Amino acid sequence: MNKNVIPIGPYHPLLEEAEYFTLVVDGETVVDIELDIGYMHRGHEFISESKTFTQSIYLVERICGICSTSHPFAFVQAVEDVDNIEIPLRARYIRTLIGELERIHSHLLWLGLAGHFIGYDTVWMWAWKWREPVLNMFEIISGNRNHYGMFRIGGVAKDVDPSKVGKLIEILDEIEKKIEMIAKAAKDDPVLKSRLKGVGVLTKKDAIDFCAVGPTARASGVPIDVRKDEPKAAYDLVDFNIIVTENGDVYDKLVVRLLETFESIKICKQCLEKLKTTNGGIRNNVKEISAGEGIGRYEAPRGEVFHYVQTDGTNRPVRHKVRAPSYVNIPTFKASCKGISIADALITLASVDPCYCCTERSIKIRDKNFNLLKFDLLKLSLEKTEQIKRQMK
Amino acid sequence: MGWYNKRLARSLWVYHVSASPCNNCDIEILDLLTPKYDVERFGIKLVGSVRHADVILLSGVINKKVAPMVKRIYEQASKPCFVVGVGTCPASGCCFNDSYNIVERRSDVIPIDMVIPGCPPKPEAMIEGVVKLVEVLNG
Amino acid sequence: MADYQDFLKIMGDKIKSKIEKPQRLYFEVDNEHILEVADYLFNTLGCRLSTATAKETYQGIEVLYHFSHDKTGIYFCPRVVMTDKKNPRMNSITPIVRGAEWIEREMSEMLGITFEGHPKPEPLLTRENKEVMKVPLRKWRWQ
Repeated sequence: MNKNVIPIGPYHPLLEEAEYFTLVVDGETVVDIELDIGYMHRGHEFISESKTFTQSIYLVERICGICSTSHPFAFVQAVEDVDNIEIPLRARYIRTLIGELERIHSHLLWLGLAGHFIGYDTVWMWAWKWREPVLNMFEIISGNRNHYGMFRIGGVAKDVDPSKVGKLIEILDEIEKKIEMIAKAAKDDPVLKSRLKGVGVLTKKDAIDFCAVGPTARASGVPIDVRKDEPKAAYDLVDFNIIVTENGDVYDKLVVRLLETFESIKICKQCLEKLKTTNGGIRNNVKEISAGEGIGRYEAPRGEVFHYVQTDGTNRPVRHKVRAPSYVNIPTFKASCKGISIADALITLASVDPCYCCTERSIKIRDKNFNLLKFDLLKLSLEKTEQIKRQMK
Repeated sequence: MGWYNKRLARSLWVYHVSASPCNNCDIEILDLLTPKYDVERFGIKLVGSVRHADVILLSGVINKKVAPMVKRIYEQASKPCFVVGVGTCPASGCCFNDSYNIVERRSDVIPIDMVIPGCPPKPEAMIEGVVKLVEVLNG
Repeated sequence: MADYQDFLKIMGDKIKSKIEKPQRLYFEVDNEHILEVADYLFNTLGCRLSTATAKETYQGIEVLYHFSHDKTGIYFCPRVVMTDKKNPRMNSITPIVRGAEWIEREMSEMLGITFEGHPKPEPLLTRENKEVMKVPLRKWRWQ
């Protein structure tokens, strides 16, 4: 039996980060996959030993640009866990609001990329167009479209202006209508279903063995969500559901992410209503942190972000460990890539929503005789969609 | 080759190299193609191979594993090719200067002609940078 | 279970020292008992391995595992201390918890720990990167 090895090279036009996969194929079916990472490794754990806590918040924000709230959220909770510091009620609502807005923008970004990979460029343009109002909301609240710098130990840095709350709720209503339209279109389309159903299945046992987190695990039937297991900030004061489905294929992951977007809009509206009536400060003054250890975590759009901090009474951390959700989700490729054809490789790899910069705080490419770069895999994927459309006529 | 530069400036083709970034600048570069900013009306498009490119957009602070590849990509590009660094990372290293895995001098790896600072730079700032590049090319 | 007192009773004298906080339990075990403790936490209690931290202290090299019990939000953190700084070795829990493969590879790359029984002990983040500093997170440089 002839087995060929196809490397999927690092620099490809749409997947932003360099990553290197080697697919072992037998004819058209994928038999095994090997991963090789290391291109984005910048050494965060080494640098943060020489920075103070407040400087570390800026450093930690720049681990990843898409989940730029999740890392400071978890880090600040880890430091507050050392001494069980309480934060004021208004700060809790603001933290939750920013976290959930980020979830909306990240899921819309993924929806656009997934649409591009299977050839629906219109979905890409629409999803990213309706992502712009969310970024405008961030600019109204914090001053920047990404990398907000809103978290501090003991609270948040800036307050939400009460005169702007009405406008924020209006923008949310507008986005909700448009996302409903996209969701309905995706549900009714037969080509999308035949392209995505049954592809790249991750069974429940594999999801538990690999310790997967986030929508990857929830689409396979494992009901874990940090917002319900250990509610911090304002998650125990608002009302929402977690979405769990059974099949574990790419279509289920799409459904989980779309429905989660609607739940996030619900949470944001509740937080904004509560902010109209809650008074008080936004930050407790913290003079010193005693020696000890702390663990903080948060449910990022991709899964659970984990930070561990060890302190010794000074204003610098002694040891700071970061674990991003893609670190445990990417090895599940080994289980979900077996038996699929090469044309489906790209959408399966992208359905886990990999964020390599979070994983490595890096990616690799190799040149062999049989070189299929991402551009070629993208072309194969688009050709398969055309073929399915022709069969349906 | 002044006349060549003027023809080039009418429609610049861009290749994007991400050398260990945090992804924010990459997402803002892709945002330029979406309906709100829409740079395709100026003739600017993203290409899949560096041999077709007139401008290389570099983002990220270059780490030691990626440095030989970035150098090879620059050598493969057909000259004249302009290198534009997007963000604070190619300009000064942002907050990563103390790390063990970052190259000390970025100019050894790839010569950067223009830098658009910001973390991340807003899409309006990037369009202004492109306009300045086109003005320089036009003389 | 609402807290971890039952767990402490079952483990008995395998636990050498402990720090108890609300929703967090940090305790120290010996290298020979770590496989039993990991097996009990992962298979019997149904915990999920979040990650593991390795650090260098005055006494030696420490590896701290973080197991999360999702139903109650409690974190169980068993700790193994290795006093031989020149050549730290301990048992690998990858045969029991498959998700620990990448986590242990990263720890052995950053601090030079050898995990016995690991199926694929190669560097993960700095492979084929000849210029990078070896074991970057060690504070005292051993020749």
